[in-house]
Amino acid sequence: MIKVENLSKSYGQTQALKGISFEVADGEVIGFLGPNGAGKSTTMKILAGYLLPTGGGASVDGMDVVKDSLEVRRRIGYLPESTPLYTEMRVDEYLRFVARIRGVEKSRLKTALSRVVELCGLQRVVGKTVIELSKGYKQRVGLAQAMIHEPELLVFDEPTSGLDPNQIIEVRELIRRLSEEHTVILSTHYLQEVEAVSTRVIIVNLGQIVADDSQENLVSTVETRGLKARIKGPADKVTAQLSELLPGHPIKVLSKDGETTLFGFGLGSKKKDDSFIGDAIAQLVVKNGWELHELIKEQASLEDVFCKLTESDRLEARHA
Amino acid sequence: MHETMVIMRRELHSYFISPIAYVFGVLFLGGQMWMASVGIEQGGIAAPYLFFAMLPQVFLFVLPALTMRLWAEERKLGTLELLMTFPVRIEQLVMGKFLAALSFLTLLMSLTVILPITMSVYGDVDWGPVLAAYVGSLLMASAYLSVGMFWSSMTRDQIIAMLLSLTSLIALYALGMPAFLMVLSQSDKIPEFVVSILGAISPYKYFLSIARGVFDSRDLIYYMSFCGFFLYANSLVLKARRVKG
Repeated sequence: MIKVENLSKSYGQTQALKGISFEVADGEVIGFLGPNGAGKSTTMKILAGYLLPTGGGASVDGMDVVKDSLEVRRRIGYLPESTPLYTEMRVDEYLRFVARIRGVEKSRLKTALSRVVELCGLQRVVGKTVIELSKGYKQRVGLAQAMIHEPELLVFDEPTSGLDPNQIIEVRELIRRLSEEHTVILSTHYLQEVEAVSTRVIIVNLGQIVADDSQENLVSTVETRGLKARIKGPADKVTAQLSELLPGHPIKVLSKDGETTLFGFGLGSKKKDDSFIGDAIAQLVVKNGWELHELIKEQASLEDVFCKLTESDRLEARHA
Repeated sequence: MHETMVIMRRELHSYFISPIAYVFGVLFLGGQMWMASVGIEQGGIAAPYLFFAMLPQVFLFVLPALTMRLWAEERKLGTLELLMTFPVRIEQLVMGKFLAALSFLTLLMSLTVILPITMSVYGDVDWGPVLAAYVGSLLMASAYLSVGMFWSSMTRDQIIAMLLSLTSLIALYALGMPAFLMVLSQSDKIPEFVVSILGAISPYKYFLSIARGVFDSRDLIYYMSFCGFFLYANSLVLKARRVKG
């Protein structure tokens, strides 16, 4: 559906995008991840038809974003960062305006309006002025305007930034529902968001793509952090026996709380290590009559992947 | 065309729901009526031209207030970005907003018809010149509006847009005054042909001839080119945003 080839964009001297390429298939939900100024918004603005690229190209449904700009814009629903809305208009007036400007036929206007009102849960505020709305509702109005013309592709730039936790959950739920019928590209700072809604992750940093893969694959490229166990028993004895049982896994006493001790286990490079260690600890505890109070597996998250990828890039930039 | 009308309707709507429109309307209409009545009292003549005599100066100060919002607010709110991702050409956006401002002013102007009507009760009103004056006023207003809208597209601050419009309109007005041109031509540093070009630019000059009842098609062409120039410049400013971001 989307094909981006060697896309670059400069603002005067600053190069915001340094030739990125990726493709998006129908029905995919892409999470765009990256620190501020990485080029997420720039990419989305080019796709949405707001900005012109400096080099390279992008197409939606085989249509060029520059040459067939109007046609591309018809197929996209776009929500810019910070959700700009006409604050003095009523919600229904605003949505009707967007529907008309986007060419929704007069006869279908009413249906289109009630569809997005229901989908975005705007029933209670549809007669209110935009300025009266809470941030969460404003965000929903922003999402509603993006889909009123039933576009094939939805492009959301940081759809949950600035919302409170409850609102974030609501908006994410909404996006997940939308993703069942649309192709979605969304950018975010929140890693949980990508984990919650998207099927594929593209991490950008300093105008370049540093990773483009499914979540599972990305996470598996980073080692699991380790394992923690809280055991009730004599600390020195436990340490001695465990290090004998698990050679190659450094054991540390992390904290002591009365009779219980929190141990940390380093992991080897093999993926199955964590369950192996878990089993070994459990058996040892049972054999010695100690008590196992907690066994915590510290799994690598997308956050680790993100930090690792963007950090190495930051270092390079500093050395360059 | 459809898109232009949709934009125009939204802008008109936002004129009517903003308090500025009502303040503007009351001040404009009230001011015009007051000046006309003072004219009648002092001169003792019930001539509609009294109403139009001050119009170029009044427009100078009030029309920038009508146009300052048009783009500056969109830029400030960030709605311009969204607007520019709708399947609409920039020219249609510009035209829609321009027509909205012009329609709003036309509506206000049409409310002043009560003045010549009142006068016709007490004396004979020559309707030809009245009609010509209305047409001339709206043509001149179009020129002023296109200048104001252009400045509005250059900034995100409405006050700055207003001040820039006011300054440039005052300059254009001055260029239409023969006395001012005389001063210019007496200077050795400015060649004569520059002075005559400058003199030809001012929308005020053309208004004078129309208001006198001389309706020349060249005046119409002048106003259309003047508006066309500024509206085109306006669309270029917006198109540049696609490059600069």
